[in-house]
Amino acid sequence: MSAVAAKPQAGGAMNPTAMGVGVVMLLIILALCWYVSPGIGLMALIGIIIGGVLIGFGTHFVPVGGAPAAMGQAPGIATGVAMLAAGAGLAGLFGGAWAAEQGLVVATITGGVGGGLMMAITCMMVNFVYVFGMGIPAASGKVLNDPITGDSQKEFKSQGTEGHGLPFVSFVGGVIGGFLAGAGGTIIYLQLLTLYEATLPVVMRLPATQVLPIAVAMAGMFAVGLFLVNAVLTAYNITGTIEGPHDPKFKRWPRAIVASAVASALCGFVAILIVAI
Amino acid sequence: MSVKIEVIEGGIPHQKIMIAGLVSTLVCLYLTYLNVLTNTQMFSFFGGLAVVTALIWGSHTIKVLCSYGIGTGVPSAGMIAFGSGVIAMLLATKFGAAAPIAALVIAAIIGFILGYISNNILNMKIPAMVQALTEMAVVGALTLMGFAALITGGFTFATLTTGTVSLFGMSVSSSQISFIGGGLIAVAFLLGAIAIQHPFNATLGPGWKQDRMLMLTAECGFLSMIVAAIMSFALINMGAALLSLIVGIIGWAYTYNQYICLSKRDAAAWLDAKMIPDVEGH
Amino acid sequence: MEQIVFGIGITALTGALATIAGSAEDTESNIGSQGDPNSQVQLAPQMGFVHRIFNKAVAGEPPAYGLWCALGAGLAWAFMAMQINAVLAIVLGCVLAVFVQGVYATTSYLGRTASLAKFGQPVYVDILKSMTSVTMAHAFIAIFCVVTLCHLINSALGHPFPLPLLGLIWGIALGAAGSATGNPYYGKERQYQNQKFGAGVPISASGNIVRYAEAGERNSLDNGFFTHKIGGSASGVCFGLIVFLEIWRTVLFEQVSAGWGAIVVGILMILIFTVADRYIEVWARKNYGPYTEVKVES
Repeated sequence: MSAVAAKPQAGGAMNPTAMGVGVVMLLIILALCWYVSPGIGLMALIGIIIGGVLIGFGTHFVPVGGAPAAMGQAPGIATGVAMLAAGAGLAGLFGGAWAAEQGLVVATITGGVGGGLMMAITCMMVNFVYVFGMGIPAASGKVLNDPITGDSQKEFKSQGTEGHGLPFVSFVGGVIGGFLAGAGGTIIYLQLLTLYEATLPVVMRLPATQVLPIAVAMAGMFAVGLFLVNAVLTAYNITGTIEGPHDPKFKRWPRAIVASAVASALCGFVAILIVAI
Repeated sequence: MSVKIEVIEGGIPHQKIMIAGLVSTLVCLYLTYLNVLTNTQMFSFFGGLAVVTALIWGSHTIKVLCSYGIGTGVPSAGMIAFGSGVIAMLLATKFGAAAPIAALVIAAIIGFILGYISNNILNMKIPAMVQALTEMAVVGALTLMGFAALITGGFTFATLTTGTVSLFGMSVSSSQISFIGGGLIAVAFLLGAIAIQHPFNATLGPGWKQDRMLMLTAECGFLSMIVAAIMSFALINMGAALLSLIVGIIGWAYTYNQYICLSKRDAAAWLDAKMIPDVEGH
Repeated sequence: MEQIVFGIGITALTGALATIAGSAEDTESNIGSQGDPNSQVQLAPQMGFVHRIFNKAVAGEPPAYGLWCALGAGLAWAFMAMQINAVLAIVLGCVLAVFVQGVYATTSYLGRTASLAKFGQPVYVDILKSMTSVTMAHAFIAIFCVVTLCHLINSALGHPFPLPLLGLIWGIALGAAGSATGNPYYGKERQYQNQKFGAGVPISASGNIVRYAEAGERNSLDNGFFTHKIGGSASGVCFGLIVFLEIWRTVLFEQVSAGWGAIVVGILMILIFTVADRYIEVWARKNYGPYTEVKVES
């Protein structure tokens, strides 16, 4: 999973006209949804947009090093960003779905905590392997001092590398990213579940208990699909690797917010149309 | 220092593959509709063939897109294709007999907007991006519809959400034993997502050859058809499932064999338990 | 009370299964050389370092394991829907999933190596024959454990998701956790064993992986036994902790103050791991000391 650019990347520049077009598209989709299904449909769509934005934004926090990290040449986790965020978020969604009948707030925070817990354990074990298994301390290549702890990084970076391991700010970033991704995925799942539980009995002419497996499976599948779309869009935004919230690439997040909002709105609207037409 | 992808042009142009793939996938999907017309389930295996043709088209699209160097990796393209495709496909199933055409249109719209987002809002500025993401969303939706037709015998929302379960010897209708209710759509999702990106991912390198990659795509498609046919034993009658399984096994055996022959043709050497050769004194 | 005791018992079982799965997954991906370290196996011939390592380029570990586990779960679900006994259904489902995994592994090795023909990298048929069965065996252990724990979560603990969807979720999580923990160990320690211990690999050494080692020409089976000791065990502990703690806090505390109990316990756990991570980081800085800039590291 390490195909690399054969041409230079377009860089971190913002494109105001495109962002404006994106916002207009978002408003159009919201208006269409209000026209087709005001009330429950519109509520669901707003929830999905918020969830999608949380996933997209949260994925920026997750420290991913890609192929160089697997050789101790770059800090971060040695996995692809889309799939690592998806893994943490899905673990959170698992917990959030279990708590679904305890209400929106509790379930969302449970989902977030699930995602954050998975990232906390994973990041700690990554540092564990680096320090006790390979004898390599953590060091960042992008800043001189860790923004949270103030530790100096330069002299702990081995020569010829860009840094290695997970400095504390990357760890915190990973946990925050897992929390936001888990919470976002759970919101999407819960909104769709409530919508489908309310509308599918009418659409399919079946009693509510019969409809429940369909509602759960469809909402779960949509949540997974939206997860992956948002995570991949974020991966495109950061061009594959990012050290965490202290990385200069992190400043590209406004683009991702607009992109995730539009993508989630579009996909959410299609999901709502299933029961609205 | 990482892997460089070098583009080797040659072979059938992408436009031809796209049109051939689109037409044959739609034809195969509509051939499964014969199930409804003849009130059997014997034509379900056309769903598997639809999967194979759609994947051939899709893997070539991924080759076109990833040759520009998008910076993240080939599997992400497969994920976004199917992530957007599953959403389009589920809505399209509501349109009855027009479901494949609806899937094409809805997925194209979603893919086009995602392509616009990636290219302009995320500033990726890759020439082939918008068309590639549009095509990939369509491929994702049609592949999933093919899997649905293979496993359940149809592609309408009602067929995908109803099934029967035997309770004390009687058949009772249950939504839990169905393509969507049982979660088989998740398996089809990942089967397709891995199968669409594997051919380019596994054959990339300076010695990339189009016929080898497309043969690998067909092999991945038939392999997915085998396991999907096994899963269909739970949802359609035994004869139809057996037919799908046999078609899948024959197709897989042929394409796998061909793929090994093509790899033998292209490899530098085909050695069995030999030493590492000396290459420029390393 | 009895419900909670039963839940704790199932949780302990799922934790144990997850630990085994994590360890088997990481060892399998190291024997097959999958994921990010595989970029070095791909790069080496291009820099003139021809090798006898298996080049298994099947996406990354998270999506690949998502597929094998979802497939195993889906097949098991289908067999159970045909009234086949649950244990037999899971075993049969996992066997078929492993068959698919083996085929994908062989096609990726053949494809990548044939595309490197320009650099003189041959296809070693004996590597294909010996590595494939070993990697399939390890994958079977991992997939079987994950599908079983998903089945337990679905039927014994009552999670609403259907079995295949649970298989997808935990398969992707397994791949993410195992690859995050085990990949650096395989990539740095084993692939670049000839570099100095205790430092990252300098960029100038890229591609120069170890090809001649303890028992003659190195192949991937040698990598398996080495990485299993530390990388595999760490991955196992990582995934085991993830599954166990996630389910444990839910089963024990979800009824306490309408769900907030589980949330508070979860946040406490995150804080504990944060403290542990900080301790590890400070320990390394204090005991290893800085690298000096002047000395040439290689």
